[in-house]
Amino acid sequence: MSSHDPDKVKDLYHTLHSHLPSEPALRVKTIENLLVEKGYLDQQTIDNWIEVYSEDIGPKRGAQVIARAWLDQEFKQRLLTDASEAIDDYGFLGKATAHLKALENTDSVHNLVVCTLCSCYPFSLLGMAPNWYKTAAYRSRAVREPRAVLKEFGVDLDDQVEVRVYDSTAELRYLVIPQRPLGTEDYSQQQLAGLVTRNSMIGTDRDLAKNMGG
Amino acid sequence: MDGIHDLGGKQGYGKIDVDEAEQAFHARYEGVGWTINQTTRAPGMSIDWWRHIRELTPPVDYLTRPYFDQWAMTQLIAMIDTGQLNLDEVLSGDITPLHASPPGMSIADVHRATQKAGVRFDRDVEQSPKFSVGDQITTRCYSVSGHTRLPGYAQGKIGIIHERHGAHLFPDACAQGDERAEHLYSVKFNSQTLWPEDKQTNNWIYIDLWESYFVD
Repeated sequence: MSSHDPDKVKDLYHTLHSHLPSEPALRVKTIENLLVEKGYLDQQTIDNWIEVYSEDIGPKRGAQVIARAWLDQEFKQRLLTDASEAIDDYGFLGKATAHLKALENTDSVHNLVVCTLCSCYPFSLLGMAPNWYKTAAYRSRAVREPRAVLKEFGVDLDDQVEVRVYDSTAELRYLVIPQRPLGTEDYSQQQLAGLVTRNSMIGTDRDLAKNMGG
Repeated sequence: MDGIHDLGGKQGYGKIDVDEAEQAFHARYEGVGWTINQTTRAPGMSIDWWRHIRELTPPVDYLTRPYFDQWAMTQLIAMIDTGQLNLDEVLSGDITPLHASPPGMSIADVHRATQKAGVRFDRDVEQSPKFSVGDQITTRCYSVSGHTRLPGYAQGKIGIIHERHGAHLFPDACAQGDERAEHLYSVKFNSQTLWPEDKQTNNWIYIDLWESYFVD
């Protein structure tokens, strides 16, 4: 049972801070060893979690969903109506995506996702969040100067384009549907998926035509 | 809690490292920090109490220590708090192993666990929602020392109800062990109502907020 006692927690931080090694990798190793010795964790489990989130669960999943939405109007409508239901077609529904909302970019609207209070992210669809998404710089600035943030990412928005920043304060998670680049009429679903960047599904990338190559 | 975690709109944090290598983990310990959190959380522990433990990270550590190093520490404290580990054994290093350890997880087990973690937070409640789409609301100036999901930058501000989401578990109460749900809304704020210095008229900030966060 949890104590729900913040004072107890503050004392624990204080006590453990001076007890554990300071260097991050060493501190995590010490905690890992404690949990392994206690029996909560083993090396095989750690290796497999790292492998799954490095190889299988990542932005390629999201890209697959976006590419289908570009090709299949009915699927796109389902994605916009209930994104959790739609991604379940692929078995992608899971960690942090039970209340997923899709946000569609258009010529006149650009969407950007942030979590100012922690680092909420649709893990089962996009995998591990980038480090920058979790930094104080991104979390503080995305809601205050989104256009300056976008500019740093190389997205130069016309003043006429409306910016919508979504701060993930509840258990809803957000997926940006970027615009399909012009000139991709002949592309297969797989080729289209290859154009979709992780950042474009968070909203820090916009024009995907640059990925079309020669 | 008006803490260091409440970063929205704070100034002085500098540029974003937009050239970071795009990979899941940049060092093994990051993957270990992630795994610890995905596999050892006590059954029934609320995400809200966990987040509050995370928010209670000493401010200097919060801003300077790497993310997964902080997550590992937060989870260690959560496990001591729930009694999954004893502080004395952590300090002395004299660990008493569990009678029955959870079995190791295969690749398929990890996939199953990820899917199983898709838990829902909406609940049926008897109360009807007080607000409708298009209504103007004012958020409260909310001085609570505990957990809340009303960001500081959106307190005492006027917004418009953009969408209703039904009732979801209310974090402020859940973090104190009182599991109850309340109507949740997506509220849109014009950037100029949040940041008077903003010259742009077409920046909108959408925030998911519970009914208790609004002035009646």
